[in-house]
Amino acid sequence: MNRPAEAAELDVLLGRVAAHRDKAAFATLFAHFAPRVKAYLLRLGASSAVAEELAQEALLSVWRKAHLFDPGKASAATWLFTIARNLRIDAVRREKHPELDPEDFLPEPQAEADAALTLAENEVRLRTALKQLPVEQIEVVQLSFFAEKPHSQIAQELGIPLGTVKSRLRLAMGRLRQAMGGDE
Amino acid sequence: MIAHHPQRDTAAIAHHPDDALLVTYASGAADEATSLIVATHLHYCTICRMRAGEMETIGGTLLEELAPEPLASGALDATMAKLDKVLPYERPRHMPSRDGTPGVLRAYLGGDLRDVHWRRMGPGLSYVPLFRRGGVAARLLRGVPGADSGPHSHKGLEYTLVLKGGYTDVTGSYAPGDLQVMEAGQHHNPVADPGEDCINLAVTTGRLKFDSLIQKIAAPLFGF
Repeated sequence: MNRPAEAAELDVLLGRVAAHRDKAAFATLFAHFAPRVKAYLLRLGASSAVAEELAQEALLSVWRKAHLFDPGKASAATWLFTIARNLRIDAVRREKHPELDPEDFLPEPQAEADAALTLAENEVRLRTALKQLPVEQIEVVQLSFFAEKPHSQIAQELGIPLGTVKSRLRLAMGRLRQAMGGDE
Repeated sequence: MIAHHPQRDTAAIAHHPDDALLVTYASGAADEATSLIVATHLHYCTICRMRAGEMETIGGTLLEELAPEPLASGALDATMAKLDKVLPYERPRHMPSRDGTPGVLRAYLGGDLRDVHWRRMGPGLSYVPLFRRGGVAARLLRGVPGADSGPHSHKGLEYTLVLKGGYTDVTGSYAPGDLQVMEAGQHHNPVADPGEDCINLAVTTGRLKFDSLIQKIAAPLFGF
């Protein structure tokens, strides 16, 4: 399976939903993402009913927000991740996820320095790098995203000092950044 | 329409959230007040903005890698049936800031920094409570030049982000965009730098413990 093509395809499908309200494209996106969003919500402790409902709602948000998707800034998967994350915080915790105001026109970080790497290629490299992380590092990365706990609590549950959790995370982030064409 | 921007070069920001704090923001694990102070730092700091973006990309990749969990039969049809009934999302519009207040913060102030209603709490010191949830409180603090917040330590974490002016304590000096993290039990005595008023966004996850008796008595009255 050609991953970059697939990731790029998802971007194209999103573009079609944005430009033409293309329902067939939406159905393909639904088939791909809804089960992953549901898995994400279950992972974070949602009941099956809540995960089911929010996964559908997340995809409905995709339909409503497709015109805001900017393929130059994030891949479809990353965009979906932020939608699912925010929806869950809103629905489960009754809080908001404060975000930068798009009207503030902040200077773009120089991420495009490595313009040779497309976002899709980036994702493939990232996926490979994630698989190559030592087990104890990937564990800390996974818990950071799926446990919804402060790192002090993660440390307690793993039975290791907080400093060790933080240094594992720092090492992992260093390697993943490198894979994405950043420094360190 | 040009928004003002933090006057300070992003390269001059010396105090950043560490990877652990940034990832609690990017993953959504952090509470709202902590997320607010990280997001406000991101407004000032290009580097951390890029890092948080990279962490979201990691989130997207982890999402892709999860074993798909099939939806109930009929889920697709149920959603398809709603498509023609919902309107495209429209971003809320608002007036541009007149004093460079970060947009993410304006949403919590209900406007610009220069229009907030300050409450006095001590010589040269004032504050604005923003919100408190589950023991975590977000507030604005202002000190005139030389104002002394009084020596204190913390029962929980204390995050301070400078919005205007600056302050100095035993750990160093802090200027706009700088984020200071004080762990539980750490002790300091921040004093506002000379020049202009120092305005900070502060988030605490536990009550402060003041050394002086007067402040010990007064602090709870102000919600500290």
